[in-house]
Amino acid sequence: MEKKKITIALAGNPNVGKTTLFNAITGARQHVGNWPGVTVEKKTGKRTYKDTEIEVVDLPGTYSLTAYSLDEVVARDYVVEEIPDVVVQIVDATNLERNLYLTTQLMELGSKVVIALNMWDLAESRGDKIDTRKMEDFLEIPVVKTVANRAEGIDALLEEVVREVDKGEHHEHEVSYGDDIEKKIIELEGIVGKDSALSGKYPVRWLSVKLLDGDENILEKIEGSSVATQVNSVLSTIKKDDYEAAMAEKRYETINTVLPQICVKCVNEVTFSDMIDRAVTNKYLGIPIFLAMMWAAFEVTFTVATPLMEFVDMFFGWLAGVVAQSITNPVLGSLLGDGIIAGVGSVMIFLPNILLLFLMISLLEDSGYMARAAFVMDKLMYKIGLNGGSFIPLLMGFGCNVPAIMATRTIEDEKERLVTILVNPFISCGARLPVYLMLAGAFFGRNAGTVIFGIYILGIIVAILSAKLIRGTVVKGKPSPFIMELPPYRLPTLKASAIHMWEKGSIYLKKAGTIILAGVVFVWLLSAIPAPGVDAAFASEEILGTEDSLIGVLGHIIEPLVAPLGFDWKVAVALVFGFIAKEIVIGSMGVLYGTGEDEDALAEILTAGAMTPLTALGLMVFTLLYVPCIACVGVVKKETGSWKWTLFMMVYGTALAWIAAFLIYRIGTAIGWGL
Amino acid sequence: MMPEGKEGKVVSINAGQGLKRRLVEMGFCEGSLVTVHRSERGALVVVVNGIKYALGKGLATKIMVSDC
Amino acid sequence: MANTNKMIFAMVAGILYVVFGILKMLEGFGIETGLAESLLIPGDFFGGFCFVVIGAVFLYAVKELSAGVHMGVSYVYVGILMSLVFMAVYLLVMGADLLMFYAVKSEDYEGWRIIDSMRPGIYLGLLSLIGYFYWKDRFTTEMTKV
Repeated sequence: MEKKKITIALAGNPNVGKTTLFNAITGARQHVGNWPGVTVEKKTGKRTYKDTEIEVVDLPGTYSLTAYSLDEVVARDYVVEEIPDVVVQIVDATNLERNLYLTTQLMELGSKVVIALNMWDLAESRGDKIDTRKMEDFLEIPVVKTVANRAEGIDALLEEVVREVDKGEHHEHEVSYGDDIEKKIIELEGIVGKDSALSGKYPVRWLSVKLLDGDENILEKIEGSSVATQVNSVLSTIKKDDYEAAMAEKRYETINTVLPQICVKCVNEVTFSDMIDRAVTNKYLGIPIFLAMMWAAFEVTFTVATPLMEFVDMFFGWLAGVVAQSITNPVLGSLLGDGIIAGVGSVMIFLPNILLLFLMISLLEDSGYMARAAFVMDKLMYKIGLNGGSFIPLLMGFGCNVPAIMATRTIEDEKERLVTILVNPFISCGARLPVYLMLAGAFFGRNAGTVIFGIYILGIIVAILSAKLIRGTVVKGKPSPFIMELPPYRLPTLKASAIHMWEKGSIYLKKAGTIILAGVVFVWLLSAIPAPGVDAAFASEEILGTEDSLIGVLGHIIEPLVAPLGFDWKVAVALVFGFIAKEIVIGSMGVLYGTGEDEDALAEILTAGAMTPLTALGLMVFTLLYVPCIACVGVVKKETGSWKWTLFMMVYGTALAWIAAFLIYRIGTAIGWGL
Repeated sequence: MMPEGKEGKVVSINAGQGLKRRLVEMGFCEGSLVTVHRSERGALVVVVNGIKYALGKGLATKIMVSDC
Repeated sequence: MANTNKMIFAMVAGILYVVFGILKMLEGFGIETGLAESLLIPGDFFGGFCFVVIGAVFLYAVKELSAGVHMGVSYVYVGILMSLVFMAVYLLVMGADLLMFYAVKSEDYEGWRIIDSMRPGIYLGLLSLIGYFYWKDRFTTEMTKV
């Protein structure tokens, strides 16, 4: 028998467990893409329930369905235009009142709704007793209790969904807006109803309500129609601001009359969350506590990653050995061994580091602490022209700038988002760490850790000053108002945080598998092709990675550009390859100095005279500041949608890097330090 | 500017269209009960309708609250 | 009064953490305090700073509780939570060391024994563990009664 096919959409406020529910319903059958024309992420998935094949669309989390933000427009347009068979609204049982606001809007849209009452276990443990029967009676919507993070209630939910689809009869629920407003609504309904194109597509009452609400998106839709002038003349008779606020209040009034009958609340007690917040948002202790938590996160990341990195290293070493033994063709062997395995290996080695950092950040986010941290840092962010919303994307930069820049999508103010994207690369990502480790380890011995820490701090300082500078000149404006919900603290589940870690970290892995792989092969090719006029075989021992290959030619061309910084042509080439991926810088130097995989040998050659502590420091600073890797540049272009700003970032960073390295070299030479 | 620990009711919101609507949608309607948990130099942590929010500098001054 | 116990605990924990924190910071700078061996204090400047912060949280609790502010217990609770977090951190570090010794067989770890990875962060955390289990839910219920 043919499977029935239906489409459902998941809607709900942010932070209600929508993603967890989505994961619980669709499992591994997910696909992530983009809503057409915008940078809002679109998640879809599939699930088979009994004899029905369900396509699940995850809508962006929104508080309502007006057109204030891109997320809301996307969610709203989907429900109105694509008309899913059922809209499942995930309602947070611990925040019924606000969640029901969205419900009223969905009801006005005339959609078939099923409510998933999530986190009802938390509500009950708080003493709230929710009568789902009464809720169903009042709303005329099926209500199913769920606990998404334990995957409870999913089957019951799907059962209701399937049942709802088959129900032919459908109520269009109405919030009564009071006599005055209702009069206007009827007037508009009469007008809009005359245009068959509009009335055929959208519920007439909903259109009227939205018009009075001042919804710009709907106004646009009306503009092209036959009734535009009439509509506008009616709208010009009312005071928009008053109507908007009044209508929102009416919705809440409706909810509030119904609420006490649905839910019996206990006395407000002081919760653990409140106690923690008292300390964590304390005027004096807030920031030190935050710093301590950050230190803890980084400490765990670096120390636990170390043995894991060794494992990755051992694996790639073994792999290289196997390849060397089994492949007889020297060219292919070199391509695979020196090129691909060495190159990709040098990137993968940092995967544990990056994944662990993202895991730490995800744990902090899932526990609810990050929201408080953003609040604590908001004051400081205000001073550089940003607000607390820019904080988490910047923090993520310490792992990898690519997902960090994608995380800026949560920032509503376009200008602030732009600035956060532009300065993000100055936050030193995990990929640059091998450069620091190698150079600091070779030249600064005992103080290596302090030097590296200094580099990280330098990055933060440059990011801060650049933000201030850009905000004061090219992207002027005042920081937008910062408001963030502080959800109750909860113990993060390892599973959920691991999923979040993977969402951020898998981007790094993809980058490695694609761009870096291609880049590394490209580097190898350049080092294997004989330079013009050199009489040697392709990929032969004599020329591989030496001056006699194309790399050498490239290097000598660039050399004059970096000579004032104290760098030679080999460093120049390595930096150029750093554009492909920062991790390759050390690998390229290994190839160029003839030490291949052996980092200790490389360290020896460098300290023996190829570089000095001064130039090593300059190189570290240069690596920190100059143009980020190609994957990052690509993401900047995608998220800003502008070549102008992408190029600005590239030029600004590289210029800053050059100047800094130049100053270090000149001043150091002048005072005789580190020579 | 309400001190910590005090409760009040929202009287009005002095903000632009979009922001005002958003605040109202989140529960800051006229008459809503507001409890201040933290208040320092413009930044607030408040509880409105059972939900806790952090309000950055500048935003807090836009919401007028009266004593209960 | 229930809060006196908590105040004493916070006082003791606060002083311990601040002192150990300062010792760790000094050792991190290379200043020998002579106690490193017996108390297993590593040279760890930033870790030491974190301990001072934890100590400060506890001492702030004492400040509020002694002034009669009941909410001061919040700081005891947070202090306990933070010390448990750091205990977990140092246990993880110990685990990493274990891996380095047994699985990776790194030469830096030749002759390593478990005791080498024992830190104040771990044994001081035990104190907090006791506090946590002793008081547990009574933190909030004792609050609402007032």
